[in-house]
Amino acid sequence: MASYLPPGAPRPASNANNPPSSQPPPNFRANPNSLADNLHNLNFNSAAPRAPSPLPGTPFPRQATQPVSPFPPTFSHPAPFASRPSPSVVPPPGARPPPFVSSASAGLASNGQPVFASGALPGGQWFPPPGSAPPTMAMAMARAPPQPQPPNTTSRPLMGSSLIRAPPVQPASPFAAAPQARQPPTTGYPYGQPTWPLQPGQGAPPPPITGSPQPPRMFGMPPPLPNQSMTSVSPAVGQIGAPVAGASKIDPNQIPRPIPGSSVILHETRQGNQANPPPPATSDYIVRDTGNCSPRYMRCTINQIPCTDDLLTTSGMQLALMVQPLAIPHPSEETVQVVDFGESGPVRCSRCKGYINPFMKFIDQGRRFICNFCGFTDETPREYHCNLGPDGRRRDADERPELCRGTVEFVASREYMVRDPMPAVYFFLIDVSMNAIQIGATAAACGAINQVIADLPEGPRTMVGIATFDSTIHFYNLKRALQQPLMLVVPDVQDVYTPLQTDVVVQLSECRQHLELLLESIPTMFLENRTAESAFGAATKAAFMAMKGTGGRLLVFQSVLPSIGIGALSAREAEGRTHLSAGEKEAHKLLQSADETLKAMAIEFAEYQVCVDVFITTQTYVDIASIAVIPRTTGGQVYYYYPFSAVSDPAKLYNDLRWNVTRPQGFEAVMRVRCSQGIQVLEYDGNFCKRMPTDVDLPGIDCDKTIMVTLKHDDKLKDGSECAFQCALLYTTVNGQRRIRVTTLSLPCTSILSNLFRSADLDTQFACFLKQAASEIPSRPLLLVKDRMTNLCINILLSYRKFCATVTSSGQLILPEALKLLPLYTLALIKSKGLRTDGRIDERSFWINYLSSISTPLAIPFVHPRMVAIHDLNSKEGDQSLIPPVISLSTEHVNDGGIYLLENGEDCLIYIGNSVDSDILRQLFCISSVDEIPAQFVLQQYDNPLSKKLNDLVNEIRRQRCSYLRLKLCKKGDPSV
Amino acid sequence: MSEMANTDPEGIDGVRMSWNVWPRTKVEASKCVIPLAASISPIRPHPDIPTLPYAPLRCKTCASVLNPYARVDFAAKIWICPFCYQRNHFPPHYSMISDTNLPGELYAQYTTVQYTLPLSPHNPNPNPNFNDPSMAPPPPVFVFVLDTCMIEEEMGYVKSALRRAIGLLPENALVGFVSFGTQVQVHELGFSDMSKVYVFRGSKDVTKDQILEQLGLGSSGGVSARRSVGAIGAAAYQKGGIPNGFPGSGVTRFLLPASDCEYTLNALLDELQTDQWPVPPGTRASRCTGVALSVAAGLLGACSTGTGARIIALVGGPCTEGPGTIVSKDQSEPVRSHKDLDKDAAPYFKKAVKFYENLANQLVSQGHVLDLFASALDQVGVAEMKVAVEKTGGLVVLAESFGHSVFKDSFKRVFEEGEQSLGLCFNGTLEINCSKDIKIQGIIGPCTSLEKKGPAVADTTIGEGGTTAWKLCGLDKSTCLTVFFDLSSSDRSNTPGTVNPQLYLQFLTSYQNPEGQLMLRVTTISRTWIDSAVSSEELVQGFDQETAAVVMARLTSLKMEIEEGFDATRWLDRSLIRLCSKFGDYRKDDPASFQLNPSFSLFPQFMFNLRRSQFVQVFNNSPDETAYFRMLLNRENIANAAVMIQPSLISYSFNSLPAPALLDVASIAADRILLLDSYFSVVIFHGMQIAQWRNAGYHNQPEHMAFAQLLQAPGDDAQMITRERFPVPRLVVCDQHGSQARFLLAKLNPSATYNNAHEMAAGSDVIFTDDVSLQVFFEHLQRLAVQS
Repeated sequence: MASYLPPGAPRPASNANNPPSSQPPPNFRANPNSLADNLHNLNFNSAAPRAPSPLPGTPFPRQATQPVSPFPPTFSHPAPFASRPSPSVVPPPGARPPPFVSSASAGLASNGQPVFASGALPGGQWFPPPGSAPPTMAMAMARAPPQPQPPNTTSRPLMGSSLIRAPPVQPASPFAAAPQARQPPTTGYPYGQPTWPLQPGQGAPPPPITGSPQPPRMFGMPPPLPNQSMTSVSPAVGQIGAPVAGASKIDPNQIPRPIPGSSVILHETRQGNQANPPPPATSDYIVRDTGNCSPRYMRCTINQIPCTDDLLTTSGMQLALMVQPLAIPHPSEETVQVVDFGESGPVRCSRCKGYINPFMKFIDQGRRFICNFCGFTDETPREYHCNLGPDGRRRDADERPELCRGTVEFVASREYMVRDPMPAVYFFLIDVSMNAIQIGATAAACGAINQVIADLPEGPRTMVGIATFDSTIHFYNLKRALQQPLMLVVPDVQDVYTPLQTDVVVQLSECRQHLELLLESIPTMFLENRTAESAFGAATKAAFMAMKGTGGRLLVFQSVLPSIGIGALSAREAEGRTHLSAGEKEAHKLLQSADETLKAMAIEFAEYQVCVDVFITTQTYVDIASIAVIPRTTGGQVYYYYPFSAVSDPAKLYNDLRWNVTRPQGFEAVMRVRCSQGIQVLEYDGNFCKRMPTDVDLPGIDCDKTIMVTLKHDDKLKDGSECAFQCALLYTTVNGQRRIRVTTLSLPCTSILSNLFRSADLDTQFACFLKQAASEIPSRPLLLVKDRMTNLCINILLSYRKFCATVTSSGQLILPEALKLLPLYTLALIKSKGLRTDGRIDERSFWINYLSSISTPLAIPFVHPRMVAIHDLNSKEGDQSLIPPVISLSTEHVNDGGIYLLENGEDCLIYIGNSVDSDILRQLFCISSVDEIPAQFVLQQYDNPLSKKLNDLVNEIRRQRCSYLRLKLCKKGDPSV
Repeated sequence: MSEMANTDPEGIDGVRMSWNVWPRTKVEASKCVIPLAASISPIRPHPDIPTLPYAPLRCKTCASVLNPYARVDFAAKIWICPFCYQRNHFPPHYSMISDTNLPGELYAQYTTVQYTLPLSPHNPNPNPNFNDPSMAPPPPVFVFVLDTCMIEEEMGYVKSALRRAIGLLPENALVGFVSFGTQVQVHELGFSDMSKVYVFRGSKDVTKDQILEQLGLGSSGGVSARRSVGAIGAAAYQKGGIPNGFPGSGVTRFLLPASDCEYTLNALLDELQTDQWPVPPGTRASRCTGVALSVAAGLLGACSTGTGARIIALVGGPCTEGPGTIVSKDQSEPVRSHKDLDKDAAPYFKKAVKFYENLANQLVSQGHVLDLFASALDQVGVAEMKVAVEKTGGLVVLAESFGHSVFKDSFKRVFEEGEQSLGLCFNGTLEINCSKDIKIQGIIGPCTSLEKKGPAVADTTIGEGGTTAWKLCGLDKSTCLTVFFDLSSSDRSNTPGTVNPQLYLQFLTSYQNPEGQLMLRVTTISRTWIDSAVSSEELVQGFDQETAAVVMARLTSLKMEIEEGFDATRWLDRSLIRLCSKFGDYRKDDPASFQLNPSFSLFPQFMFNLRRSQFVQVFNNSPDETAYFRMLLNRENIANAAVMIQPSLISYSFNSLPAPALLDVASIAADRILLLDSYFSVVIFHGMQIAQWRNAGYHNQPEHMAFAQLLQAPGDDAQMITRERFPVPRLVVCDQHGSQARFLLAKLNPSATYNNAHEMAAGSDVIFTDDVSLQVFFEHLQRLAVQS
């Protein structure tokens, strides 16, 4: 929640004009920039294209949907994606720039304006007059917190310990601290907790403070509280409440902002037998697994585990793991080693069934071992026995991956199989109803599938099937013996069945030609189709029945609202509109699944290991909220192409499909997370089916899917001990091997609150926020959700201020270093599509669903996009990175003469300023003026270096995000912006 | 055989009656023991039948058609209906009528005439285009329903049979194709992009409306189009370019002219696989015959009423899935036997029959026919499906294999044209008019009661009764019906002489001939009333023992099916004894004095053989076979039916011409060849000696030409029989003491059994049975008949 943010912080209102520097409170150091940096992003919160945006011509609405350009498939299989460097906020431990230091280039404005706009201005101008320059962060910063004091970053220091001495009192401190930060971390906590105190009221409230009595309120913020004493009131609240010092200006540039790190970080998971806190998820890092698992597979919201529940509660933070068991490693990382224990299977604790891992302690000359989860002592199996060395470790520990690596994969023995590992089955189900045909969705789907066939795994284990549907379901017998495919129509959509037991799903090698022929002819065959009805539910079920025997992936291409047969839906969005009065109250109901039929079907699918992905290529409302139940429950996902464009979307469709089938993935998986005594799993959250309380069933799991595991204490932990988490994923590989991927993370326990803050993991925490918000939106009024998100953020900051900041001034916002961006992101979240009421229901549903399985590295960018300038790509010769420096999301950084690219991992908006050099336009887009911007944009590479660079840039982003991005061009004033 | 060949006992009318002279009263009639019944062949062709190209004249009160028995007043231009004595004026176009200028229907010899009709008066939904002279009659429709649950080999046979059949279809005939196994697949032959089938689940009963809707022929297609026809009429036709008589344009996706879809069908047959659903060991294939037939019927429901259509079902096993199931899939449970039916231990039977009854009703209401070709070693459920086949007048053939000639040749016959043609007609309706005091009890045979009430409807019902009109969805030139009459119970013997001594019966059969033309055949017959209380002599002379035997056989079969605990043998025996008591010539209590009039002399022997036949001794057969036998018994003419009851036996030997031989084990001789025709099978039986010679190859030696000829002769005769008959009988060639010889022995009178084997001459044979022989039967009959 941004709210807390420097309350005072930059509200646009306060005038941008005031040089921040002048305003700063006494202690404010003069390097506005550093602060600005961090705050920067605050305003850009993603979302909302049509937020009540203050600015008439906000530059980029970031969310507008845009056509995507057909791109040469940039990603090639795993490799490309393998590494997804991202601008890392965190520099390598060794050299971390002071947190506040801003690297931000001056010029760019953020587009986030809306946010600020609303909140901020004390006085009058909520919205800067149109004419005024982009209200930017600058203002935002300016608005000082409770007391107009600009926030100070206090201790920037890397070392936790030093940090604590927070700042406030001393005017200089905040920034002063920064320099310190640069010092090499002496302690083990490189990411120590910096605080970002705002010290407005505190020591010496500068005059200005008094000046602005009006508390600006942020979205969803509780009413301002009187700023009483610093101790009693959380700084944040105080600020809000009392932006007393409205007058004070905060230099926008002082707002904490993410600082993309450009260099690759080398990370060892454990050093000196201690867990090493991971680098930020969004940074580019290479992991060496030295006992703990790579943070790609599993990371915890806090890298030290509170010993007691009370301590955790006090901190206001949540304890959760983000588990992404099949995440793609960096190409330079060692691959996960496979260990084969033969028939006996992996060594496990006989009581809790925990798998052998580096933290199991061997005793008694190696004859027995103590389980690090339940503490039980087991006999070492005879064939696994090994003597211990002088250091107490087994002598063979370093040779055995399971004893020295946080992540290993065991070959599953017979007892882990209830049947032979299933073949790789892909079933394509295509909507051919009138609408789908007419908007070109069917042709796009067929084309994409036809191309993708070549990428399916070779070999006899790959099976495919295909069916189309409108008001009936059409299967195709692809058996090679037939001269041509045979169409089998299942007309009963109320009570479906599969038309053949065999031959509907056949070996790919057997039917390649038939399949190609068929895919080519489907669009023409149904060209004259006048059936508008679409039996999505029935078709899905029928396809499921065809693949029931094996399980597999079911890929559904749907273009209209399912209107007939099992699980038919009604156009409740429209109904909701007509009954506005009732609709208002129950607005969130539209985001819930409409009926239980699909849910029941989904559970059945999951039971038979069928994983469903739905590609929604539409120009209308399709009720994603209801449809999405199926992919969510079966470990699949929803893809959304709205409004579908036959020009620009096929390329993305193809690339999405291709990635879907080629990315590393597993079938018929079961996952469980085990924790050391004292902690237990509270809940799992993600795309899966849960039939037993302890396990999650994943008919399909792939490298992009992340599961959030929330934890709770059931006992006290011993200070100084370690608490381990182990995620075991039993799955079948595409090649038909049964494997158990075991990922173990062991973290120290602490009873010191400040340690928690110091070791907090921003990315994970925020991903946690996102997922919680996503899961709550459908079930609660939006206002409550916003409040809750705000409060989550507030509570953490309050706790920090209350218990960790040594001295605080009442008006100052004090932020823990590790979480200094949390307010910014929280604000972004609150302004994002899912938490706004002005978006289309389907878009919000999609947003919610997208988040349910989003991985940690993608979470923040999704609500807080990245913006880069592309008009001057040429000028950055010599820069090795393909991606130009990130620009803060502030309108002040957006020039009329520039072209900017804004992306959040899913959509990509290219904003073209009004006065861009036409030469550049020609080079990039082959148009001569802004007015010629095509509605449906296809990125093409022209024969000039600039165009090439743009293509390279987009490709690089695609690679990083594992997503093709929907590209859209827009110009100032476009409504969709 | 020979005697039948010589005579045409049915004559131009195609009618044979058990009694050709009728007693006056109900009481007298009941004393006659054998019911008053007529066996009619409604459309049996006869060279002498004139075809009149105009509509018949009908009596204005009773609707009987003008016939030679009408009294005509040429001066007044009036005719008097012989049935109701109503005076009818001739219409203007008969104004030329005179003593010497008679219209065809008034010629005395033309008791049967045929009219060609521009449209059927019975067609409830007249074709809106009937006024259009260029309008061709609607083409016939053939929907093939093929079982795919069979082994590859059988599949091959049936496919080639189908290919041949399709080649033989008239070019304009519309063809549809449905295959089934676990599920039903309706092939959309009109879909050009690829083979396309609609799949229906075998386990679920679907209504006609659901079928139409799911095939896309529902509200959007057929129904509304058909509804609109009335209003928009021809305009809609032209606009849609809809082919003849098929307002439900959608249906032309499934039904294509044979000439258009022959290639498609052949390609389809090439690729058609046996049912691919797995059959676990120890279970029967899952086969949804019931649903397949209802889907086919539903599909035809989209055709306009009055279109002649047949469903040709080729079934290779029992229905085990969905409605119409006759047995569970578990192979350890055998298909129901007669014993099970008797003991009510056939759990599926009644339900299945009920299902097929409903199907039959649907088909009848649509006027469509179900033909059943069942080929399997085990039963396929003919007993259950019988009702649907019989009510629609369908054909039925039961064989052991699709490769067997019984199936192959019969199936081919169905589609053949010309002389061999079965003359398959559609949409028949039979009406019967009869003189006052004659009541109609009902009909046994391939038809359905139309429930048309009237004074001529008897109180008691036999077979399809309670009506004076019947629907014959399918009929062919050999179709035969048995009509049972009763007399009004009012006692009229008190006023003899006041009434016409003649009684009249008129059979009106309208139908659509193979060319699609509407025809009306009118047969009027007259018989004499006799006061049998006064003299039974004439009555005796009017007895047709062959017909009587067949009528008794049909009646017995019917009673066995519908009457609980009916003891057929006992009932037949008692009837025979009563008949002999009444018409025999004897002294009371003196068996030796017993004599029978020649008119009755063959009857006891018929009864003896009937008692031993498959119709009464059902336990030797499966219910399927019994049902099959009975269906044919009911639809064949008297001569053929008589052969079913009492096979004919011809003996071939050196030194004598082929001659009928006694149906007795004594006819077997080592140096003879016997040819047995029991209708369903034709057996050539080589005596021991003949067999030895043949095995030695004497017939190949020029000096034994005579032997070769002897060997050849029965084969030729068998060929002749086979060619005439539908279904084609099974031909069995066997040797004395061979295993196949049982086909002969079973039919012979066991005059020589192991009990009296020592009395027999060498070279003859014995039958190992405890059955009574004809002699013993007669002895008992004589004794019982003369008992006081």
